[in-house]
Amino acid sequence: MNKNVIVIGGGPAGLEASAQLQNMGYNVILVERTHELGGHLAKWDRLFPDGVPAKSVLDSLLANIGGVKYFLGTEVQSVNLLEKSYNVILSNGITILANAVLIASGFDLFPAEKKEEYGYGIYDHVITNADLESFFASRKDKQAVPDPRIPLQPQKIGFVHCVGSRDEKIGNRHCSKVCCATAVKQACEIKEEFPQADVYCFYMDLRMFGRNYEDLYLKAQKDYGIRFIRGRVSEVAEDIDKKLVVKAEDTLSGKPVKVTLDLLVLMAGMKNSGAGQQVGSMISLETAEDGFFSCRDSVYSLQKSNKNGIFFAGACTGPKTLPDTLHEARAAALTVHNYMKNFE
Amino acid sequence: MKERILSGYDNFVLPFMIGMVFLCIYLLIGLIRILKHIPGPDRKKLALSFINPRIIYKDCRDILCDCLLHVKIFKRKALLGYMHASIAFGWFMIIVIGHIEVALYTPQRNGLIYYPVFFRYFTMENNHTLRGAFFFFLMDFFLLVILSGIALAMYKRVRSIALGMRRTTKPSLADRIGLYCLWAIFPLRLLAESFTAGISGGSFLTKPMNFLFANFLSNDYHILPTWWAYSTVLGTFLLVMPFTRYMHIPTEAFLILLRNAGLKVTRPRKGFAEAEIYACSSCGICLDACPMNMQKKNLKYSSVYFIRFLRRHNTRKINEIADKCLMCGKCVALCPVGVESCAIKRAQRSTVTDGLYYDYSYLKTLSPVPANPADVSETMTDKPVLYYAGCMTHLTPGISKAMKEIFRAAEIPYRFLDENGGICCGRPLMLAGKEKAARELVRKNTELIRAAGCDTLVLSCPICFKVFREEYDLQGITILHHTQYIENLIRKGKLKLNATSRSYVYHDPCELGRGAKVYEEPRRILERMGRLVKAEKEKEESICCGGSLGSLTLNYEDRIKITRGSLKALTYNHPDNIITACPLCLKTFAAQSPVKVMDIAQAVTENLEAIREPAASGTEKTQFGN
Repeated sequence: MNKNVIVIGGGPAGLEASAQLQNMGYNVILVERTHELGGHLAKWDRLFPDGVPAKSVLDSLLANIGGVKYFLGTEVQSVNLLEKSYNVILSNGITILANAVLIASGFDLFPAEKKEEYGYGIYDHVITNADLESFFASRKDKQAVPDPRIPLQPQKIGFVHCVGSRDEKIGNRHCSKVCCATAVKQACEIKEEFPQADVYCFYMDLRMFGRNYEDLYLKAQKDYGIRFIRGRVSEVAEDIDKKLVVKAEDTLSGKPVKVTLDLLVLMAGMKNSGAGQQVGSMISLETAEDGFFSCRDSVYSLQKSNKNGIFFAGACTGPKTLPDTLHEARAAALTVHNYMKNFE
Repeated sequence: MKERILSGYDNFVLPFMIGMVFLCIYLLIGLIRILKHIPGPDRKKLALSFINPRIIYKDCRDILCDCLLHVKIFKRKALLGYMHASIAFGWFMIIVIGHIEVALYTPQRNGLIYYPVFFRYFTMENNHTLRGAFFFFLMDFFLLVILSGIALAMYKRVRSIALGMRRTTKPSLADRIGLYCLWAIFPLRLLAESFTAGISGGSFLTKPMNFLFANFLSNDYHILPTWWAYSTVLGTFLLVMPFTRYMHIPTEAFLILLRNAGLKVTRPRKGFAEAEIYACSSCGICLDACPMNMQKKNLKYSSVYFIRFLRRHNTRKINEIADKCLMCGKCVALCPVGVESCAIKRAQRSTVTDGLYYDYSYLKTLSPVPANPADVSETMTDKPVLYYAGCMTHLTPGISKAMKEIFRAAEIPYRFLDENGGICCGRPLMLAGKEKAARELVRKNTELIRAAGCDTLVLSCPICFKVFREEYDLQGITILHHTQYIENLIRKGKLKLNATSRSYVYHDPCELGRGAKVYEEPRRILERMGRLVKAEKEKEESICCGGSLGSLTLNYEDRIKITRGSLKALTYNHPDNIITACPLCLKTFAAQSPVKVMDIAQAVTENLEAIREPAASGTEKTQFGN
């Protein structure tokens, strides 16, 4: 019996699923496109709602993958369905015959420069949520070059929610699920970093759905004095001192507001990973209108694709929080296990 | 030739005469109705146009080229053009030659309407016939031309793509009757003339047919029935004409007279618009033109159906289509008759009263722009220009940033009218039919522009550009879109560009291309910087980006499909970059495009030959590369 399982993507979903499958006695081959494991998690500093260091979560994940064969800097070149198994050719020349393929290709951050009116890549002091995490992560590193976009002593800082999410004009109607909590978390963190600064959050509505998320929101207002303004930012301009003039509407008071900021953080949402979609197109996996892969159904078989032997875990089937992703990874491992019984 | 029937009359002419008289009365009433609804000053304009030799010449030329020869269709699709021209011009020539024959051979019958039509029935050959052989030949020749056109038309009903039309109009019941009559008229005329050719003479077509029939038919018995059939079909055609699309035959010529006199659409259904409505030939060229028709379900929103519903006074449908239209103007540009359906739609929108409250209090808070001291230096000798970015450019700050850099590089002092926020140019309101509401903005903008005291106004947004040129009274101020302005700077040697090996495709924004006829300037700029490749459809036929402000009700799913279709046409030749000159197109494309999309100003700044401060411009460059 062929006990090979290929896991595509070495982020949290891929790592956790690989570890579980390895435990169950399968030969797991993990394929990662970049040169390090951990995906977006490896670049993150702290995690909501309690500010757990991302590194500790990543270390736990990595500690469990002993025995998993993984290839870094390797891409999937072709996937062919043979009788019942898949023949996968990798860019390093290795060919693997596997009965099951688990797609854990995750998400790409929405390219914030596409929302040009916010000035990412055009104005000097506009960054994304990911840029801010890298900034937080690099503070401990004395060698690191500080991000020139972040002023030394910012007095006014703004966060824009829903950048590339819930925005039909840009072609993404879906909610990216994690940005609300991330924004509130980052707002608190930046307030800790620059206690003298005023911090504003421009939001449509706050989706603080998870356990303790609401508390985080209340804490942000009470303990950190973050100012929440309900209304989308319409446009951002840069004045002669390179400060950012943000125009928005405060929909609670029904008045337009104009704020001058030193730093603007865009909460870029999630879209299906481009590399993942490429693999998907090799086996003609269906994607839904939001660009993420379609599951076999919407309730019962979330880990199954419409093709036998192809499974999903994590954000490749829609935006997910990290805990959700890890649940899915474990569920996927079990689903693969049940499927593999057919071959015994 | 001499008369065969001494009375010069036979009962079979009756159906034709009934149809003809009915049509003439109908047309006369229609003419009076239209003239009545045209506003007084326009009526005066029309009257004056008939004594202006230049307009008269233009009228004649347009009627010949558009109504008869269909030059416009010929240029795009030769076979389709031939189909239309053969029927129109052929028929026209047969009528003309018919009258010449009557005038030459039976001058006593001049003025009898039916006589030229049924000339062959009423006359016979004699020994002078040789003089008529020339006309016999012409008559047969043009009949053959028409028949070939009819054959093509029949084939087009089965397979329209053969004539270059992906889709063709679905005819209404009345249209169908008219269509079948039209198809039958000329074959019947051929039969009638062939049976009669033994008596009246004929040429290469009718004579051989006459011989052929004589072999197995008794020609004499068939003469009268075929003339009856011919007259009946012709009469029916004329009788139903007012209720079919064939009303365009008489109306189109009249429309040309009105248009050349300088008349404009003011009301959606009456006056000039009515002439336009009846001049629509329902040919269906607008079906393929409309960008919404990338999806078959949207076919019903095409201009041809809009006009049809206007004729039927179906207000619900009229409003639905008027609101849905993107106002890209492609159907107008390609329309062989030149029906300005977009203008009619705008007029229609203005009839819908919405009871909106307009708050103009913010207009008072705007003060004139101060001179830009930071950008004026001693070395600058040029007069300052006024730059107006517009709302859309504020949403694509890359463009205004690039423009500032271009002004700096060319050492042109400038004033930025709406740097700290301005007001809308008014065009979106006008497109929505809110002409009066827009006037307030136009007034305030005019005031601000005048106060700035510059004699050149540079705009980045084609939407503003069109409205500033057409609706503002800015005499003495040169209004330029930045494509034109940059091209000027390059021509004067104020801007120098590096030639690269990059390939560019240019997207013509609707408002700049079809709207303001600026096609060449951007292309000349791009040719200086790299290789300009062609899009599958360009210039007049350029496809709307899908982001148009024109549509009031089109949803985003449908818009995205248009955007993707347009991008597919643009990337036809695999360019490295898509260049456009409209902030709205840029934004719309950037969200969907597989290829990097830039405004022409941004592309220019990327390729600026460093004139001064190479270090400074170097850092800017890397920023754009991000």
